[in-house]
Amino acid sequence: MNIQEYISSGIVESYVLGLASPEERAEFEQMCGQYPELVEARNNFELALELHARTSTARPSQEVKEKIWSAIQQTSSTPKIVTMEPTASRSTGLRWVAAASVILFIVAGYFAFHFYNENAQLKNSNKNLETKINSMDSVLGTMADHDKLMSDPNMTVVNMVGMQKGSPSSASVYWDSTSANVYLIVKNMPKLPSDKQYQLWALINNKPVDLGLFDAPKDNKIMLRMKNTEKADAFAITVENKGNTGGPNLNQLQSMGKAKL
Amino acid sequence: MAACFILSPLSPYTKYSEHELVALLLRQNEQAFSYLYDNYSPALFGIINQIIPEKELATDVMQDVFINIWRKIASYDAAKGRLFTWMLNIARNAAIDKIRSRPYQDSLKNQPLPENVNTNTPNSVVNADINDVGLKKLINKLKEEYRVVIDLSYFQGFTHEEISKLLGIPLGTVKTRIRSALMQLRTLI
Repeated sequence: MNIQEYISSGIVESYVLGLASPEERAEFEQMCGQYPELVEARNNFELALELHARTSTARPSQEVKEKIWSAIQQTSSTPKIVTMEPTASRSTGLRWVAAASVILFIVAGYFAFHFYNENAQLKNSNKNLETKINSMDSVLGTMADHDKLMSDPNMTVVNMVGMQKGSPSSASVYWDSTSANVYLIVKNMPKLPSDKQYQLWALINNKPVDLGLFDAPKDNKIMLRMKNTEKADAFAITVENKGNTGGPNLNQLQSMGKAKL
Repeated sequence: MAACFILSPLSPYTKYSEHELVALLLRQNEQAFSYLYDNYSPALFGIINQIIPEKELATDVMQDVFINIWRKIASYDAAKGRLFTWMLNIARNAAIDKIRSRPYQDSLKNQPLPENVNTNTPNSVVNADINDVGLKKLINKLKEEYRVVIDLSYFQGFTHEEISKLLGIPLGTVKTRIRSALMQLRTLI
């Protein structure tokens, strides 16, 4: 298409009237840069259009003019319009930055709060775990001690069976005959009134020897260190008054076991 | 400066060339605003009123248009066309935005609809004063089928696709008709 055909194609009118598509506008503007005759054609149509448009007989009032001017005065307190475009876009940018930083602040705040909470929770559960580990440790220690006692070849184990009807009290005495150490492992001893205590006895030549008083342990299967004895034919547990210093009350014999088979 | 000579007989108030006027507007000169309003408000109101028949609403739109011209003057590029063309397009776009806006469309529903643009409607008789002046007068000189497509696209802002649906004619025909209409306009102007 030569330039004259292009000029008379209706594109000039379409462009000036604002009916051209963005692509057509871009092309037209680019062509204007190359063809002065196109610019001239555009200018001619613009002038003719202006001439026609200005035949309008409307006479907008002075009142409206004053209204517009005061509106302009109110809105444009900034010194120069020229600087408005860049500052407007810069302030748009700033507004975005401001918005972004507010969002960032909120997000950071949320995370700070979240992590603070999480940290507190972690500390707490850490503490709980520590307590659990400590108690496990002591349980484990007890079990290890048990294990050590039980696997000691010098250790004599005396299982004592309940002597009272209907009372399933039972305990085991671990007796190291070489070191004379005596340990009592309570398997099941009923709780006693507060003025009573259990007492372990060693029977040596049918004579009871005190090996120590003890309370019914809260947890069964606990190991108690008792008084040493080098000799024992049997072991017995009786129920005595608290802090008993006398002999055994054999009516209250709870458990008994022979030391030697 | 050629523009100045051509414009001079048009308006006895012409004191500034477009170039001078733009420079003064950029400096936010009050006299420049006064000049702008006195010289261009009739033509700009004319185009707005041809799109929006309600005078009061058209006046409101014109106020916005002048405020916009004042604010956007820095974005006017003389290489792309005359100041008047730029302002005319701002006015036309503002008016079309208004008539296509929801509140305006809703307000139309409460009134009897104007009849089809194809026919000579009572509406056009009522608005005879605005149809006989300015660009409408020029458009009215076009062949009927051309006038219709220009009216729909230029004064009502419909896209080619919308016009195709409205008139029930193929899109290609709409494009051809608008092109022919513009070519005819060229001979009339």
